Amino acid sequence: METIQRNQVKRLGRMTHTFLSKPANLILVVFLVLLTFLTLYPLLVLIFETFTVHSGREARAVGLPRGSYTDYHFKRLLFTLDDGGAMGVTYSNSWIQFYGPLLNTLSVAFTSSAVAILFGGTVAWFITRSNLKYKKFISGVFVFPYIMPSWTLALFWQSFFKNEFIGTGTSNGILASVFGIFMPEWFVYGYFPISIVLGLHYAPFAYILIGGILRNMDANLEEAATVLKTSRMRLLRRITLPIIKPAALSTFLLVFASSISAYSVPVFLGSPVRYYMLSTKMKSLMDTYPGQAYIIAAVMIMFGIVILGINQKVTGSRKSYTTVTGKSSQVSLVDLRKWNRPVAVFLVILMLLIAVLPLITFAAESVIIKAGNYSLSNMTLDFWIGTNLTYLDQGDSTGILLSGKVWKALFYSLALAATCAVVAGTCGMLVGYAVAKKRGTRMANAVNSLAFFPYLMPSLAFGAIYLAMSVRVSWLNGFVLLALIGSVKYLPFASRSGLNAMLQLSGEIEEAGQIVGIPWWKRMTRIIFPIQKSSLLSGYLLPLVSCMRELSLFVLLVPTSNTLLTTMLMQYSEKGWAQFGSAINLLIIIVVLLINYLVNKLTGASIDKGIGG
Amino acid sequence: MRKLIALMLTLILTLSAISTLATDKALVEEAQKLTHEELVEKAKAEEGTFIVYGNTSRITTALEQFCALYDITGEGNNLKDAEIYTKLEIEIDSNAKGADMVMIQDGASLEFLIENGYLINYLPPSVAANVDAADQNPLVHQFINKVFIYNNQGDDVPAIKNVWELTEEKMKGRVLFKNPESEQVNMNFLVMLTNEEWAARLAEAYEAHFGKPIELGEYKNAGYMWIAQFLSNCVFGSSDTTLAEEISQPTAAGKIGLFVLSKLRSSSVLTENLTVGEYDAQKNAYTIQPFSGFMYPMYALVSSGATRPYTAMLFIDYLMNVDGFQPWGKSVGAYSANSALVPLEGDLGIDIWKNTLVSEDPAYILAAYEDVSTFVTKYVK
Repeated sequence: METIQRNQVKRLGRMTHTFLSKPANLILVVFLVLLTFLTLYPLLVLIFETFTVHSGREARAVGLPRGSYTDYHFKRLLFTLDDGGAMGVTYSNSWIQFYGPLLNTLSVAFTSSAVAILFGGTVAWFITRSNLKYKKFISGVFVFPYIMPSWTLALFWQSFFKNEFIGTGTSNGILASVFGIFMPEWFVYGYFPISIVLGLHYAPFAYILIGGILRNMDANLEEAATVLKTSRMRLLRRITLPIIKPAALSTFLLVFASSISAYSVPVFLGSPVRYYMLSTKMKSLMDTYPGQAYIIAAVMIMFGIVILGINQKVTGSRKSYTTVTGKSSQVSLVDLRKWNRPVAVFLVILMLLIAVLPLITFAAESVIIKAGNYSLSNMTLDFWIGTNLTYLDQGDSTGILLSGKVWKALFYSLALAATCAVVAGTCGMLVGYAVAKKRGTRMANAVNSLAFFPYLMPSLAFGAIYLAMSVRVSWLNGFVLLALIGSVKYLPFASRSGLNAMLQLSGEIEEAGQIVGIPWWKRMTRIIFPIQKSSLLSGYLLPLVSCMRELSLFVLLVPTSNTLLTTMLMQYSEKGWAQFGSAINLLIIIVVLLINYLVNKLTGASIDKGIGG
Repeated sequence: MRKLIALMLTLILTLSAISTLATDKALVEEAQKLTHEELVEKAKAEEGTFIVYGNTSRITTALEQFCALYDITGEGNNLKDAEIYTKLEIEIDSNAKGADMVMIQDGASLEFLIENGYLINYLPPSVAANVDAADQNPLVHQFINKVFIYNNQGDDVPAIKNVWELTEEKMKGRVLFKNPESEQVNMNFLVMLTNEEWAARLAEAYEAHFGKPIELGEYKNAGYMWIAQFLSNCVFGSSDTTLAEEISQPTAAGKIGLFVLSKLRSSSVLTENLTVGEYDAQKNAYTIQPFSGFMYPMYALVSSGATRPYTAMLFIDYLMNVDGFQPWGKSVGAYSANSALVPLEGDLGIDIWKNTLVSEDPAYILAAYEDVSTFVTKYVK
């Protein structure tokens, strides 16, 4: 009896040993445990918080001491539909705090996804399958809206179009004061601009994903149809569109999820006219009735889960990805003829408006003394390099380029971004390797889903959960907390690009190394990494750039708003210190564009490869 | 089962709260007996960066001066009131390094933090005699007033004499006010209007303006009625500084705002276009009926999570005296609780302002907050 048991244990031991001696398995197990702890445990904490009484105002409202169990939050947020009285249900507490914002969020998300796909997809088609002029310029500048922080376009929109007849209605933006054109309120604030701005911000997603499919599409397909005299319209409808359908659907889902969790754009373009979305409501509730804020966070996460599930179903069945083999594919370009010049010029002007005009606007806003006056006499470089600015009684006593506070924030932001990039990038590469090797097994699928999950968790909600966690775990604060949440949040991108990079590699390459007896780490560093260098490095670039321009993820967790450049910017904007705010905004954008450019030039890594085109 | 968990949780929370308390409260009490020199010595002997959270942007200037004077490293942070409350609790609960001293508004929320020991009161001996007993615990550093200020350009200047004028049809969209949902003191002001005294005075003012007694209809009292009609005419801003700037523009003719008087110090505000309503030279007071605005105290307290408590106390002492008050005292609209410090030339003293401004009554606000804030939400939506 004993011998049998001992033998069984020994067998189990040996099986485990063999199992774990394969690096891919070891990685999967480690990440399974790690990711479960970093994504599922926070979820549990979140759910716990939705049933707990927090302090201060909330404790008074519930009438129970802090820490007690209660279902008050649910009742108040979701089921209080009858206290609108004579004004109707849209004045009830639940409508104002939840259902109204929910409706707004869904409508914005649908519209912005549609905008992103239409705009990004169309441009992608023009760039990859036609002989459009100025391709290099358009495709180069097209990713700008994604690299720049999402509020860039929002702030630009607001300061460009605002005028004295809308909003607080007392000062004029550039369009009004220079050209005398006054846009109506629905154009400048609310549903319309939020959808447009988010759509433009995420259009590069669509461009990259759809463009990737179009780029690799075998020209023979279209040529066969042309030989049979199919009209171009039919060709588009019956061949091109069906091919990009999976990518389009995937993009739609991703943009939808991102729009739901967008925070900074609704804050600038929605809150001034009290057009609230789930994200902005959650932030304001966090400071007064945290229990209800956590419920909203849970709802947003549920959306993420549902979308992830749908996305998996849609894209999970792709079969082969190998492209690094040796076949060349022919691409025949559609000749646009007389439409070429007009379309090209139109796109160039559009890109200039979206990518370059905001930068000019911020530069202008950062040098004027009194608002609304854009004449040279009202301009000064004080906000950049001035000293002894205490007469202003705002933010800082020196221009931002001379301010210790700003440089400190800049270095802290860079350090944080670099840490997140290294951690997320490396983990992403490892996860990509392991999942690619063990593709199809349950464990690989589990790790793949878990690794992608943080992306769909709204940044603000994610921040809220980690905030709740940080109270329980004493070493979890400051830089460590920010680096941890940043790494987990950007792991999805890194693991996706890692996975795509690894899937492209045919297995023979590594096997050759194994046969000769090269140890695993040497195979990774000397063979695999160099071959797919630019794809893998893109997994590092994306977290780096995203982290530098990230706000909503960190806004609840920073020790003070002066810690990071982005939180500093938010504080300055909220306080109405327009010039300092615009200057810092410009600084952030320049830094981000610079990093992107440098890494691109030095290593060939780029955002497109990072997203998975 | 969940009762057990809840009990355990409360126990752990209380225990952790108590354990961090014991040292600091007794310490602060002891420190009341120190002389100024002894306090300075102890403060300098402490280590680490001195961290301050303040509701006001000028705290950083005051801190810079303080640090230069005593050769201490300090870091000042300007945060919103609700943020300070949330942050403080989380930091103290999780024993993370946070503020040593806070300058904070919203007396009603403050109650909770003091009751549960998160903030500790310190009354500097040097000013004890000059501060009103009512303002000593918790210690008031200064009073801030938000008054009705209008743009004096153009034909239709809203030089109101009675607050009910703001509820009329013609004022729709011309009244600027910071969204009470993002500024607790604004919400507190609205809550105060529903108490017996102010509701009665509002009813009187209604009769004085419209010539007939007030008909409440569905409203609980005159306070609720004024709030509903006032908010319906308001345009909400997100920051008093921006409001001040915008309303001072020539394009803002005909508009009136209720915002912080001291924002007039900002260089981007065109003060020549603004008038504070409604000055009566004979009485040397502002006489809009029944109130010209409201005021609230800004408190200064030591955090129970302080790693530099003596520095915190020294800083409070500094702030209550002439040098420390200077960043605020040099502009209009800041009134020290230390009666030895005179108000700025051309401004009125706090004792005169107190008569025509609505003040905070923490006890009433605590009791009535839920009802009024739910009511307000419907009109701010």
